Amino acid sequence: MKRIGILSAALVLAVSSVMGQAKKPTIMVVPSDRYCISKGYMTKFDNQDIPDYKKALQNDADLRMAISKISGIMADREFPLKDLEQELRNISNESAESAMITGASGSSVAESPVDVLKRTAKADIIMDLDFSVVKQGPRNSIMYTLNGLDAYTSKNIASSTGVGSPSSAASVELLIEEAVLSHMDEFTGRLQAHFDDMFANGREVKIMVKVFDGSEVNLSDEVDYNGETNELAIFIEDWMADNTVSGRFSLSDGTENFQRYEQVRIPMYYERNGRQRAMDTRTFVNNLKKFVAESFNLESKVYMRGLGEAWLIIGEK
Amino acid sequence: MRRLIKTVALSAISMLLMCGTTNAQSRNKVRKLEYNSQYNYEVATLAVGVDGTKLVKVWGYGKKAEDAVRDAKAQGVACAIFRGFPAGSNGSAAPTPPIVTDPNAATTHEDYFVKFFEPGGKYLQYVNLSTDGVSTDRVKVNKKTYKVGVELSIAYDELRKELERQGIARKLNSGF
Repeated sequence: MKRIGILSAALVLAVSSVMGQAKKPTIMVVPSDRYCISKGYMTKFDNQDIPDYKKALQNDADLRMAISKISGIMADREFPLKDLEQELRNISNESAESAMITGASGSSVAESPVDVLKRTAKADIIMDLDFSVVKQGPRNSIMYTLNGLDAYTSKNIASSTGVGSPSSAASVELLIEEAVLSHMDEFTGRLQAHFDDMFANGREVKIMVKVFDGSEVNLSDEVDYNGETNELAIFIEDWMADNTVSGRFSLSDGTENFQRYEQVRIPMYYERNGRQRAMDTRTFVNNLKKFVAESFNLESKVYMRGLGEAWLIIGEK
Repeated sequence: MRRLIKTVALSAISMLLMCGTTNAQSRNKVRKLEYNSQYNYEVATLAVGVDGTKLVKVWGYGKKAEDAVRDAKAQGVACAIFRGFPAGSNGSAAPTPPIVTDPNAATTHEDYFVKFFEPGGKYLQYVNLSTDGVSTDRVKVNKKTYKVGVELSIAYDELRKELERQGIARKLNSGF
């Protein structure tokens, strides 16, 4: 019995050292749009009303307490969260520092408009938090909703919602704390189920294939591959079928200029130099780039939108 | 003739009695199986417990009232591990999922759980508080069985951490 125990422990150690670690998604708690609108935490940008998270975090003690409680519980589960307030502060510091840095020749740090656009607070999974006080005469209760949204697939991967029992004695702060405590186990349980599914069936991501307007070929042009002549789009689709976990993906839309692949299940690991390494969408799309270059002699560019989304733009580097 | 009628009547009565005894015996057998079933959890969530705990009411069975209380404590901890707690009535608490998601965990880790749930075993470490001294929900369901309801505060987070340490429950960050 003891020998079996030692053997299985050695096996687990061997497997974990060979498998390595999968890419860990980042998670951040963000107040919902509804919450920001109802409390007036909005600002104008490009003639559009958008949530002003900085204002919300600086003025709303209840919100800060709820976020802090959720962060504490997640840290206790060994899954520390990205802090929205700190992230916003980092971004403004980063832009200030970036503007100040100059090289020996006096040149400044290169930054394209896309780089500026990408400098926003983002996470792979957004915990969309919403709560409000429901009054029933002298009694208060909390209506609470916490949604876990995958930033790339836009899917709701975990949620917990409900109205707490009314109380006339407890303060609103206490009721909010109670709501967080009440719902977190249900939420983390669903998040765990999502991760279990990810390890069993691959990570679900989104991939876009686009074409530069100066490209000589588009996706509906006919090309030759392995003695077969067909549209480029068809060969790309075949590659997706061969390289996704159990061939699971769906081509949700497409024209001669783009293909949108959703619910693409990419493997969690790939082998490089004899070792298992974590796979992300950029690495997966890079493999597609290599296929397009080697098979059709076409140049292309990989644009990364995060852990779960990447674009391949055909025609130029 | 009279003797014949008497014999027939006697045998009919004895047969009826035998049938009754057999039915009672099978009823008792079923009841015993139900009381001892690993799937039989009679649990209600009372309210949101303080940080890391669950406040529940659990009913246990036993030949004596104190056996039933002991059973209720073990049932409460087992329910947290294998089935989770239902939502409290009137929004008093959200449902709690089971700590172990693998449906075969009880058999896979049988040695651990047998030791864990033995009388005076480690499971008692995760029962913070109980009303076993002042319980009023005590019913004698038949001549040999008591059913007792006990309010328990279960150290859910500590229990989860212990099972994660033992490799029985998966950590939220495992694999990453």
